[in-house]
Amino acid sequence: MTMSPRNSTEESGALSKLLREWKVGSSLPPRFEDHVWQRIAREELQAPASFWTQLAHWIGSALARPSLAAGYVALLLAAGLLAGYCQARSEKAHALETLSSRYVQMVDPYQAPRR
Amino acid sequence: MKRSWFILVAGLVVALAAYFTFYFLSIANYQSLERGPEPELAWLKREFLLGDTEFARICQMHQAYLSGCMERCRRIDLKNEELKRLLAAANGMTPEIEKTLAEAAQLRAECQKKMLEHFYAVSRTMPPEQGKRYLAWVQEKTILSDSHKTMQH
Repeated sequence: MTMSPRNSTEESGALSKLLREWKVGSSLPPRFEDHVWQRIAREELQAPASFWTQLAHWIGSALARPSLAAGYVALLLAAGLLAGYCQARSEKAHALETLSSRYVQMVDPYQAPRR
Repeated sequence: MKRSWFILVAGLVVALAAYFTFYFLSIANYQSLERGPEPELAWLKREFLLGDTEFARICQMHQAYLSGCMERCRRIDLKNEELKRLLAAANGMTPEIEKTLAEAAQLRAECQKKMLEHFYAVSRTMPPEQGKRYLAWVQEKTILSDSHKTMQH
């Protein structure tokens, strides 16, 4: 069944009029608003959280514990020191190797860069 | 929750600070070594644990050796140029090439002799153990460095 545009306009006008005249007689149940918020909270809890949300929540709750927070900072401090040590060691070895080669090139004419 | 995020970021900042502090402190003395006037000799001093007096004597010997070495380098270059010219002009072995090769070999032997004399003199200036170590290392890197291990026979 289809409605002609004319009929549709007439009917929505009537509906609008009816809605304007409609008055809600009954009052809301006690603590209605609280119940609505509780229901929203329940729905949110039941909805599956995304991986990132879960991770953020896990990090948030883990770092709220002082022992874990101290452990985390200590671990990163050690990792930073170790990375700095390894990088410096490798660069030192390379620099010393370069200097020793340069010394050899200085004293040995057959190893000096030729023109 | 806010505190947890602060700790998370603080941990990362601590790691970065530790990395850069340790890294720059560790390489600081090597950077000063490289920026010095004679980094190669400064390396020698550090590597062979030389005292200031020994180091000063070795620097003098080094300068004296280098002045003679420059003259020998000039002669090597001239001989190489001569050999290059002869090789470009010839189609096979000629008496001139043979003579020039013999002279180049003679020059090389002379250079190696001077080099060895210098190494012995330097090693005698060092503390005995370090002198021995220096001699073994420098001979391995110069006179004995011609290796035929990779040649296919």
